[in-house]
Amino acid sequence: MKSTQYSDKTLDHFRNPRNVGTLEGPDVAVGRVGNPVCGDMMDIYIKVDDERIKDIKFQTFGCGSAVATSSMITELVVGMTLDDALRVTRGDVADALDGLPPIKMHCSNLAADALHEAIKNWREGVRPEDATKTPVETACHPRPAEAAVVEVAHLADYAGKGVYTSLPDPGELSDQRVVVLDTGDRAAQLAIDLTDHTGRVVLMTSGKEPAVSSAMRSALRLSDVKILAEAQPLELLGEGELERIRVHDLNEDEEYELTADAFVVLE
Amino acid sequence: MVLKGAADVNAATEDDTATAHDVVYCDYQSAKPVDPRVVDAMLPYFTETFGNASSLHGVGDDATAALDDARARVARLFGAEPQEIVFTSGATEANNLALIGYALRNRRKGDHVVITEAEHISILNLAKYLEKNGFTVTRVPIDLYGRVSPKKLRARLTDGTILVSVGWASNEIGTVQPIAEIAEMLDGTGIALHTDAVAAEGLVPIDMSAVPVALMSLSSNDIYGPRGLGALYVRKGVQVAPVLLGGGQERGLRSGSEDIASIVGMAAAADIMATEMPGEVRRVKTIRDRLVERVLAEIPDAHLNGAPLDPPAGRLPNNAHFRFDGVEGEAMVLSLRDRGVAAATGSACSSKTLEPSHTLLACGLLHEEAHGSLEFTFGRFSRDDDVDRIMAVLPDVVARLRALSPLYRAKSPV
Repeated sequence: MKSTQYSDKTLDHFRNPRNVGTLEGPDVAVGRVGNPVCGDMMDIYIKVDDERIKDIKFQTFGCGSAVATSSMITELVVGMTLDDALRVTRGDVADALDGLPPIKMHCSNLAADALHEAIKNWREGVRPEDATKTPVETACHPRPAEAAVVEVAHLADYAGKGVYTSLPDPGELSDQRVVVLDTGDRAAQLAIDLTDHTGRVVLMTSGKEPAVSSAMRSALRLSDVKILAEAQPLELLGEGELERIRVHDLNEDEEYELTADAFVVLE
Repeated sequence: MVLKGAADVNAATEDDTATAHDVVYCDYQSAKPVDPRVVDAMLPYFTETFGNASSLHGVGDDATAALDDARARVARLFGAEPQEIVFTSGATEANNLALIGYALRNRRKGDHVVITEAEHISILNLAKYLEKNGFTVTRVPIDLYGRVSPKKLRARLTDGTILVSVGWASNEIGTVQPIAEIAEMLDGTGIALHTDAVAAEGLVPIDMSAVPVALMSLSSNDIYGPRGLGALYVRKGVQVAPVLLGGGQERGLRSGSEDIASIVGMAAAADIMATEMPGEVRRVKTIRDRLVERVLAEIPDAHLNGAPLDPPAGRLPNNAHFRFDGVEGEAMVLSLRDRGVAAATGSACSSKTLEPSHTLLACGLLHEEAHGSLEFTFGRFSRDDDVDRIMAVLPDVVARLRALSPLYRAKSPV
């Protein structure tokens, strides 16, 4: 079965998603699940009145079933008590959509999890802004970026072979994939400057956002620098010169390898 | 689904209303329609010249003559000698014969095989198979644009290296590899170079008399011939063990009674390609260039994956591969399908493994970026107005999915 062989009902919810958007107010909570790394991420907003879901909205980044399950669950639970809503399972959502392709049952069927997270956040008094944007200091695996530097394996082995501790000669970096480790505003400014010389500059931070001033945050947003959040470099790899960085994904607690030609760690 | 133009290749479409709801097909890297002239050439070989080329009677002789003639015509398109062409059931089988057949036959010389990180999944899985069977495989990294550096490749060769396999071009992002340079580097070293040329056939010049490649996989469909047929080019003197055993057809390298109709079809497709390729390449490149220009100009936060359009030789002329910030690929393909456009994606959600495209990750893209890719490939029956029809729906598809997405924040309105 192809991963995109969806039921008519799933396609309908994908084409005409119900209750898209966000909610605001003192009676609102949000649940966020998923991770852009995995290709699916969703926010479900609930407005609660007398232990009932009075209104519900969602925003989803993801494939057809990720959108459809988000839309479906909003229809299923609107008006329900929070206790009843907590009993709605992934299976219930899939059934309501007349089934999902087997391969999508787990990866792209997170809507029930997001709803449960929203209810949990409501009961624990977690505000929407905290649920969707955890500040760096309270990130799930807080770890100062400076401490991480010391732990990157083989950092010294690649000195001059792809690792830079000061401003690299921009001429050498044309068409190179440059990863700059977030050590504050200076690193961020360097990353922005480097986009004049290569099309690929990644700013890697262990936080949910780079640990920079708000002015620098705006500058980053307008720049071509790609932010890689919740990532920690573990080890440098390559045949004679830097080719890959082994990265710890702090959100998923998984490791993967990122291709890179240059790694900038300002002293 | 009716594919516009495939049925009336040279006839101008006068009745546009009849095709207004047809699909704009821009997935030529996945499958190409068989050229109607090829079908015409094949038909007599189903019912009239139906013999077995191994038979000794006249009916068999007619089949032998057709087979010999077709082999010479396919060889001519690629600058090869007829006896260097071994017909197979497709490029997958050709890759199997090349990697397994060469590795097994030459094992006494060494057990090390080199491939790149940009290879088609067919080669990646063959590499894993070789590893399970006692060979060591090294994967050479690619650069930002998907190109393998001959220098990095050379640094990975060992005394035990017997085979290097580098695809002529990426079926995904369309990056063309420096095959001639790699072939010349390996020439005379005793290390054989295999290239899977399926993505490049009919789009870039391929001449075995000029480039010292040992083995090359080809597909009939990729030059608008029938599916279910391919070929392995085996340079004279290169030793390969068969992987399909039987009656000893194809010089013992590929047993099984020859599919004469399909082989004649591939030959007809080769003849047409030899004549029409220069004009066709110019035409699809014009269409592709216009799509890239319009997408990057009209859709905010859109990026081109793979090599730049200039220099033209670095990228297949029919390939446009994009990513859009904050949007997932399968959702784009589904939305485009609803609006009459057939495109492809390297998103995990469209794959059987749920892993995003290995090629995009090897280029250095982050997972979330690889999830947001969208690929358009054009071909012989693409029309000049395809770009207008794509651009009539694509900006809205991207905007609509971004409105749903918690990840997208526009940098600035275009």
